[in-house]
Amino acid sequence: MLRVENLRVVYQEVISVLHGVSLKVPDGEVTVLLGANGAGKTTLLRAICGLLPVYDGKIIEGSVLLEDTPLHRLDSSTIVKRYRTTYVMEDRPVFWYLTAEENLKAAAFSRWNREVPADIEKVMALFPKLVSLRNTKAGYLSGGEQQMLAVGMALMTKPKILMLDEPSLGLAPLIVRELFGIIRSLNQEGLTIFLVEQNAHAALSVAHTGYVIENGRIVLDGPSGELITNQDVREFYLGTARVDQKRFLEAKRYKRRKRWL
Amino acid sequence: MDFFLQSFFSGMLTGLSYGLLGLGLVLIFRASEAFNFAVGEFMVVGGFLFYILHFSWHLPFLIALPMGLLAAAVFGAIVERTTIKSLMGRPALSMTIITLGLSNILSGGIQATAGSNPYTFSLDLPDLTVEAGTLIYPSPQVWAGILSLAFFSLVILFIYRTRWGLVIQATSESQPKALCFGINPQFVLLLVWAIATVCIGASGIVVANLGALSAQTSLVGLRAIPVVLIGGLDSIPGALVGGLIVGVVEALTGAYVEPFGLIGFKEVVPYLVLLITLFIRPYGLFGTVRIERV
Repeated sequence: MLRVENLRVVYQEVISVLHGVSLKVPDGEVTVLLGANGAGKTTLLRAICGLLPVYDGKIIEGSVLLEDTPLHRLDSSTIVKRYRTTYVMEDRPVFWYLTAEENLKAAAFSRWNREVPADIEKVMALFPKLVSLRNTKAGYLSGGEQQMLAVGMALMTKPKILMLDEPSLGLAPLIVRELFGIIRSLNQEGLTIFLVEQNAHAALSVAHTGYVIENGRIVLDGPSGELITNQDVREFYLGTARVDQKRFLEAKRYKRRKRWL
Repeated sequence: MDFFLQSFFSGMLTGLSYGLLGLGLVLIFRASEAFNFAVGEFMVVGGFLFYILHFSWHLPFLIALPMGLLAAAVFGAIVERTTIKSLMGRPALSMTIITLGLSNILSGGIQATAGSNPYTFSLDLPDLTVEAGTLIYPSPQVWAGILSLAFFSLVILFIYRTRWGLVIQATSESQPKALCFGINPQFVLLLVWAIATVCIGASGIVVANLGALSAQTSLVGLRAIPVVLIGGLDSIPGALVGGLIVGVVEALTGAYVEPFGLIGFKEVVPYLVLLITLFIRPYGLFGTVRIERV
């Protein structure tokens, strides 16, 4: 189980982004984190997998624990290599100037052994679209293909926990459905998935539990079935709730209680 | 016509060693966006490491060459660990400035240990003098071309055919992306500096073989600047083409313009070509045109 406890993150020593975030990602489940732009979703993922220093960010309080090992002092390649936690950045992090196959190989670099060619075939079997694009430069792939390649690359690192940052970004609804189908089947094979999304509908349909983050704080959490019916989530993230006209001042105010971890 | 061909092809042969020099710079630039101004000193250091092994310790050429280059790689790695590593994630400009300081320190160090007198440097290689009609290319020049081309191809094979080369390409494209797939950019930067130093050191050996090795050989390193800028700072084929252009232009100027009394003009001409190239193609002939939004 991956646990984030009371995490506070600042960028450039002054810009406070997360103000005490706590959540749990139980083994073998899909956990989803919903939130608007600038809520701190990506920052949270960066903090978990040690990418903050690259962006001049720092954890000033709190901890990230995998089982009982703190991850927040380690650098990212150790986290990927030893703790099998892989983060797929938003906006399709493939290497544009390498071919699809080279991308998969490059991603397997940290755990290179004889099984790599076989693993590449496994990924190709999971994403049949990539087979014919094997020798095409990844920059020329379509958005959906790039996103599938990115997930495939993450799988090449043999993760136990896969963190996906907005996999649906900029993809057609049909592709999104396909992608989430794959995410679900990966989870059924035992992979723990932590999903960060704006597309609340798709995300909640595959998730077991969900969290809602707003302005660097978790404001809501619960089983995904419960969140789907929640009045606030329906209004702000699903856009389906019928509410009478409200004053703008009152918008986006949750009936919050202070959450103690 | 013969005179033209003579200078043209000898320019090509010299140009190949400039290409190798340029490759060293391009690799570093691609990996860290920094320009290595210590390139001339790296050449001299590479040359001297080989000199010690071959001429002082009398190791045979075929053993001294790989060992010398290995020593150059270790030297590059040490330089990277001591000066460059701590600057990772900082603006590339600070790395560039570090290399300026490095260039001063190294040139001082070389002069202090080896003095500024030239060391005779004639490799005992099989005679490959090419004579065709009235054209004649002396053996050291032919060897310079062959060795440079060989090293160039070896490095390219390493970059494009091995998995280490693959991660070098990947990390050169984007460090954060590489990081999140568990590639350690510090390791990659170390590798890049080691390989680049091998390239630069090898071209030092090749260039020294054309004349002698001295602290002044580092001035040849200045040629690398027009070479990589003409070819495009981030393009590997660009380094080779830029090297050939600079070599040919230099040789032709030496043959046709300098006799009119413009002694030393051939040192300047590559920069004129560079200026014209940059007017027409600001990113160099093969450089990636980057879109930067401010």
